[in-house]
Amino acid sequence: MTDVRVPGRTDPGGQPPKDPPEGAGPSAEDSHQRSFSQKNLPWWRWAWRQITSMRTALILLFLLALGAIPGSIIPQTGNDPAQVQQYFTSHPGLAPWLNRFGLFNVYGSPWFAAIYLLLFISLVGCVVPRTFRLVGQSRTPPPKAPRFLKRLPHSATYTSPLPPDQAVAAAESMLSGRHFRLRKPAGEDKTFWLSAEKGYLREVGNLLFHLSLLGILLCVAAGGLFGYKADKLLVQGQSYADTPTALDDFYPGKLATGSDLAPFSIKLNKFTADFIASGQNEGQPESFDGNITYTSTPGGPAKTYNLQVNHPLNVDGVKVYLIGHGYAPVFKVTDAQGKVVYNQATPFIPANTSTFLSDGVVKAANAAPEQLGFIGVFVPTAADAANGTLSSAFPAANDPAVSLMGYSGNLGVDSGVPQSVYQLDTTAMTKVSAQPHLLFPGQTWKLPSNLGSITFVGYQQWASLTATYDPGQDAALVFSILALLGILLSFLVRRRRVFVRAVPAEAGGGSIVTVGGLARTDASGGFEEEFAELAAELAGTAGQPAGTADGPAGTEPNNQSETEA
Amino acid sequence: MFKVKRRVVVTAAAVIVVLLAVGLAVSFTGGSSQASDRQYLDGSTAAWLYKSGHRPLAPDFTGTTLTGAPLKFSAYKGKVVVLNFWGSWCDPCRAEAPTLAVLSEKYAKDGVSFLGDDVGETPTSALTFTRDEGITYPSVNDPSYQVAQDFGNAVLINNTPTTLVIDRTGHIAGVIYGSVTYAELDTMIHDVVSQ
Repeated sequence: MTDVRVPGRTDPGGQPPKDPPEGAGPSAEDSHQRSFSQKNLPWWRWAWRQITSMRTALILLFLLALGAIPGSIIPQTGNDPAQVQQYFTSHPGLAPWLNRFGLFNVYGSPWFAAIYLLLFISLVGCVVPRTFRLVGQSRTPPPKAPRFLKRLPHSATYTSPLPPDQAVAAAESMLSGRHFRLRKPAGEDKTFWLSAEKGYLREVGNLLFHLSLLGILLCVAAGGLFGYKADKLLVQGQSYADTPTALDDFYPGKLATGSDLAPFSIKLNKFTADFIASGQNEGQPESFDGNITYTSTPGGPAKTYNLQVNHPLNVDGVKVYLIGHGYAPVFKVTDAQGKVVYNQATPFIPANTSTFLSDGVVKAANAAPEQLGFIGVFVPTAADAANGTLSSAFPAANDPAVSLMGYSGNLGVDSGVPQSVYQLDTTAMTKVSAQPHLLFPGQTWKLPSNLGSITFVGYQQWASLTATYDPGQDAALVFSILALLGILLSFLVRRRRVFVRAVPAEAGGGSIVTVGGLARTDASGGFEEEFAELAAELAGTAGQPAGTADGPAGTEPNNQSETEA
Repeated sequence: MFKVKRRVVVTAAAVIVVLLAVGLAVSFTGGSSQASDRQYLDGSTAAWLYKSGHRPLAPDFTGTTLTGAPLKFSAYKGKVVVLNFWGSWCDPCRAEAPTLAVLSEKYAKDGVSFLGDDVGETPTSALTFTRDEGITYPSVNDPSYQVAQDFGNAVLINNTPTTLVIDRTGHIAGVIYGSVTYAELDTMIHDVVSQ
């Protein structure tokens, strides 16, 4: 199934393209392998062979990586729907086309799923038969020793004072001590020889690598199916219970629902952001600390935790990250009758993340007789306030100010169609003044025409949290490590065979011993040295220490080995 | 012998893979089935009555009302309760408020209690709103959505507004997601009261 001649995935049981001399001969699997190369395959077998081939798997892996690129450069609905919206407004021509190809939701798009599933099938189709083949090979003894060992890529000859049977037995004990698998003559065969094979860990490592890749794919799938991401903005002092209606945004996996949310509650006690006050990096953030109290179950014991960037809270396998912060000016609005109709901290969204100039709206929907609305700009450290254009000089709230544009009329919130809390629909409203009004903390703007008033009471900080649940995350790490181990094994270990043949010497009671070597795979050269060492040791244990023309030093590395590799 | 084995293995692997692929494909397209324990109103899947014997038990909860009075859900035992999850910042909640006000008056004589759970805000805006709308029944001040979470094991409160009709035994008889219409809530309360 996988007999594509590509390094790394070449079946070690199969033969290199150029068959070695006789005797190293094809085993049962090899001949089977060859039958697959024949023409006239039924189409489905041909298709199956193509899909499980190394080449296809590599192309799919490459496509997967290629497909992930738009996922990181084009805004994704799963991560930031607001940015996708913005992309649509700024690229009206291109965006609908990107949308047609699912590029705003790459990881959920059919084409990405297709690549993913095909890669999965390709890996399963490759790994399963290979695992069984490996099991089969570990049960099959090495092939018989070839008749003419000198024709092998590596060979050496030495004379032994021992008779042939004992010379072979000495070699046997030495090779078995080195964990070679052995095969000896059986039945009618009256010659003296020995076959030894080693290096099955290479294929084990290779399979481990492929299985780990499969594992990683499954972990990613598990994360996509059963995981979720939930966003919540909390003003200092506020708390929330982790339940769908409390969340600002909830992105469940394909098989996750709101009932899968962990039933914790989090209260933001205090949020502190420190910025560098002077020098070259002035205004750069130094640290963010979100002091929280949480319970992992309703009514459970309350614990405190200090949330920091990259220091998430772990509740029942759900990781809660601190991902953003900002200011929430506190406004108090009274209507024409002097009734307080609005009194709360209102989160403003930073428009400039280095100065924290922020935008937001106030909707006093209960004001009578006219509803009141305000579009505001908040600056933590006011600059140039005098000449009318408000800007921020520093991200910390050293001299906070707001500039408000007031509207009266119908906010359009009573029709039942949900609106964004960060946008004001002014189509049915009129401006209460031509110019925006500037307020510092404690100041009140008395609206013209006795419409009411708005007080900038002060400000609070807010922090935005993201709770993510990815059931495959830890396992994915384990599989990655295993994959690395597997590929290391398959690179470092080499499958090789050593053959020994002994014939009686022409004179005396000794024998002439020939050793042949064959490295079965090409990766990591150096079998030459190992073979020379083995041959020398064999000659040392079973042969005469020296003196023969073809002694240990006379190892004949055959140049064939280079071409074979 | 090995030949045969391998062919079997490959075929088995192919079958497994195809099954997996089909399974994944189905899950990707999201085949949702309608639950058989409920009867949907007007063909909509956003409002239903549970069939008898399938009604989930409402959790007990305590809280403080918008005006600061303590409130215990257990005190309502033996009464039909209409529980509405809402916020004055939530536009569909504002739209359904007049309907709730009218129905709470209509069923007062039948001993039906209306109860609100005001989420995600401070009492100031909420109280102004209920007074303006003529809503006289109490609402729990629930800025952190705690009561909504408590109900999660019985009926998931996915969004505001969500309205539950709870029968005299404290079991949830009916659920309406989104703005209620007079007709559907009227039918639902009538059904539960006359049982």
